[in-house]
Amino acid sequence: MAHAAKRFGSLRRNPYGAALIALATLVAVGCSSSTGSSSAPGTSSPGASSPGASSPGASSSAPVQSGGTLTFALDEDVAGFNPLAAGDTEFVLAEMQDQTLPRVFVVQPDLKPVLDTNVVTSASVVKNNPQTIVYQINPKAVWSDGAPINADDFIYNWQAQSGNPKFKDAGGKPFLPAATSGYSQIASVTGSNGGKTVTVVLSKPYGDWQSLFSQNNPLIPAHIAKSAGFNEGFQNFGAAAQVSGGPYEIQSYTKGEDLVEVRNPHYWGTPGALSKIVYRFILSDDQQPPAVQNGEVNMVNPVLASIPFLDSVKAIPNFTVQVQPALEFQHMDFNESNPYLALSSVRHAIAYGTNRQEMITRIVAPLSTQIGPLGNRLIMPTQPGYTATDHGAGSFDPAKAKSLLQQAGMTMGSDGYFHPNFGPEKGQDFTLSISTTSGVAVRSEIEQLFQADMKAIGLKINIQNYTANTLFGTIGPKSEFQIIEFAWVTSPFTSGNQSIYCSYTSPQCGDNWDHYADPKVDSLFSQALSTIDPAQATAIYNQVDGLLWSDMATFPLFQNPDLFGWSSNYKNIVPNTSNIGIPWNANAWGAA
Amino acid sequence: MWTYLLRRVLAGLVVLLVLSFGVFILVSLSGNPLAALQANPGISRATIAAAAAQLHLNEPLVDRYWGWLYGLLHGSFGVSYTGQPVGSQIAQRLLVTVKLVVPAVILSVLIGVVVGVISAVRQYKPVDHVSTGLAYLFFSTPVFVLGLLLKDFLAVDVNRAVGHTVLFTVGENTPGITGTWNVFVNGVQHAVLPVLTLTLVTYATWSRFQRAAMLDVLNADYIRLARAKGLSPRRVLFVHALRNALIPVVTVVAIDFAALIGGAVVTEIVFSWNGMGQYLFNGLTGAESPDVYAVSGWLIVAGTAVVVFNILADLLYGLLDPRIRNA
Repeated sequence: MAHAAKRFGSLRRNPYGAALIALATLVAVGCSSSTGSSSAPGTSSPGASSPGASSPGASSSAPVQSGGTLTFALDEDVAGFNPLAAGDTEFVLAEMQDQTLPRVFVVQPDLKPVLDTNVVTSASVVKNNPQTIVYQINPKAVWSDGAPINADDFIYNWQAQSGNPKFKDAGGKPFLPAATSGYSQIASVTGSNGGKTVTVVLSKPYGDWQSLFSQNNPLIPAHIAKSAGFNEGFQNFGAAAQVSGGPYEIQSYTKGEDLVEVRNPHYWGTPGALSKIVYRFILSDDQQPPAVQNGEVNMVNPVLASIPFLDSVKAIPNFTVQVQPALEFQHMDFNESNPYLALSSVRHAIAYGTNRQEMITRIVAPLSTQIGPLGNRLIMPTQPGYTATDHGAGSFDPAKAKSLLQQAGMTMGSDGYFHPNFGPEKGQDFTLSISTTSGVAVRSEIEQLFQADMKAIGLKINIQNYTANTLFGTIGPKSEFQIIEFAWVTSPFTSGNQSIYCSYTSPQCGDNWDHYADPKVDSLFSQALSTIDPAQATAIYNQVDGLLWSDMATFPLFQNPDLFGWSSNYKNIVPNTSNIGIPWNANAWGAA
Repeated sequence: MWTYLLRRVLAGLVVLLVLSFGVFILVSLSGNPLAALQANPGISRATIAAAAAQLHLNEPLVDRYWGWLYGLLHGSFGVSYTGQPVGSQIAQRLLVTVKLVVPAVILSVLIGVVVGVISAVRQYKPVDHVSTGLAYLFFSTPVFVLGLLLKDFLAVDVNRAVGHTVLFTVGENTPGITGTWNVFVNGVQHAVLPVLTLTLVTYATWSRFQRAAMLDVLNADYIRLARAKGLSPRRVLFVHALRNALIPVVTVVAIDFAALIGGAVVTEIVFSWNGMGQYLFNGLTGAESPDVYAVSGWLIVAGTAVVVFNILADLLYGLLDPRIRNA
């Protein structure tokens, strides 16, 4: 499952979370071995706060004081508190739950997954046929309400995300997970050794097996979810959302204002250094730099930084700013339930008419010179295996765009706009609407440039923006848009993309809001998921992406240059460009 | 007096009733919360029907209004289209707005009256020109510009000079503060800039009203008579002139105060305060807008404020001028 930025999920969204995690894990780590523990030798818990922590990629070893508060400004609120449920999988939620929900593997800043030994002491593929994974749960691991973390949690989390209708949510309702990648291939999950040993048997091999119960697919407490409900029990803030299995627990949440985390007194590992982490929702980006200057906010990571934002935060003394190409990209989705957008020729026309390089020059280039028009939506240019698979479909060619619109049954009107010869807009100016999150200046700029590009090819664009909460909680999941612009935040496990691009008719494709369907894509995804060899899997994913370009299922714009900024008074802060975000090691953060 | 008050209250209730009916109908007719669903061929009729039933959109409009009114008379503001209880939502928002508006109005009245009186008494003198210039400056400056300027050029400098954060720019309070005194002080620190912003734009208007009213009164025959009788300038100014010159200002203050209770939208947004203004804005622009229950709930509170403050203004007229009281 990746995240939408909705920075989600994890939109900024993170639908790719699990899948990408799995693939990239394999690709980046090169852990093609199907047996033996995948954990790197000497690895420990992610972001361990003590000097000498062995988490790879983390420079979280500086001594820090115990206590204090760090306030992190977020430009989106959450839609719910179940990171696994369709509609809740926002990137901001993943960030907030980095330190509250347990996960087996955590992708480090170098994009390599590392075992969190606080949660499981080992995770190994013990058998290839059928692929069998054994997890040894840390005997000390408990939820914050005292219930042990055990096999029941693994079993429940599998069942809820399996997509198998025989498993039911509370009240007999079907589970509505955001994604089922990997979990749908599990044949059984059994517990032994008093529930502290978990054996997972897969019906088909799963290359990204390290994405299971990991990264932005953390474990949610089974004993809570069974009674509260997977789909609805975590929709609103309450006791269910407060149960923690990590170094911190959620103390309070005020909608539209903040979420406060404090140390989890029941945590069995090294306690977090900070006594409190405050996630403050400042939905308008231009309000964040003054808040940083005033010391009200100590950390920023905007959905997409603008030049004035960068200039403002760079000018703040004693404030560290880093910009890195992230596993995150801006894109446009087309709702194919619209009779015009259902036509491939219209979608291609829109793509040909959009000058992505102009967007990058105006918006991104001042932040990072490494960014170009994106040629692949499954693997980012900063990942191994990236190949531009668009074969020209993403090139800027207004003449071809007009030609395609004419072929689609449009006639150019005297006012410079095409008039469809069919459908509900027959004889009228061809008009579509685009939506994104309000309050993000850069996204508004993308829309305005897009609007101008479309006017040039005879297509009228209306802009209708919503708060992130509304866009990712309602508009997107209910497919109440025509064109929607946002970002997916991914992980190295490419299989997590499946839920976005597999046919919407399948209940496993909760992140496909676009009514897109292509059996060939489904088949190739299925094949890639079962491919153990990372090079072969990458080749198949690139084939999938080629088909997605050919169908113009979605239109990738550019990889996000992610801006991370934090007060230099705090140490051990290491940006992570995957879909768990910068708080991946927040338990190690602290004042020098 | 009591009869008069009762009459005004009853009239106010009738106004609220008519207003609520009108707004309920107009808001309901102004948009279709299901429009996006219905326009989407991929959404089944059953889904649309279920959504309509959930939002009571399948009931006649008058029935929906009656149901809402019945709930209101029984102490329930109903549930918004987003599933949130309107009453508790508005209570939270109203408290936020009151914390912003009440101090701003008190300050604006004090500054507006003093500046207006001085301007009138010193008409065309340098102090009048300065106060007039400032009033026009604040009056003509967009609220969001003023707010941002105060953030950038007041808060930052003050905090830097002091060495820690004393003026906050975001939200109504800092999360996690404990202790009554600490919470109070923190609340004040958060309120300084938005209250100052609102005060500057509000006092500017009111001082002009006060100046104009004061000039009218100072040129009246009875003031000349009072001076001719040998009354002291202070007595003429404060007892005879100011008292009468306050009457038109009271009207403006009452109306503006009531309007601000409905939400100082821009100020709330600039400083990230979740008050009544943002609630209305969300109700009119959210995913399932127009949310008639959220808007109607807001209207009842804002409308009640208008009625109450108008009654208070009428009572104040009587206190300021016995002729009105006895009429």
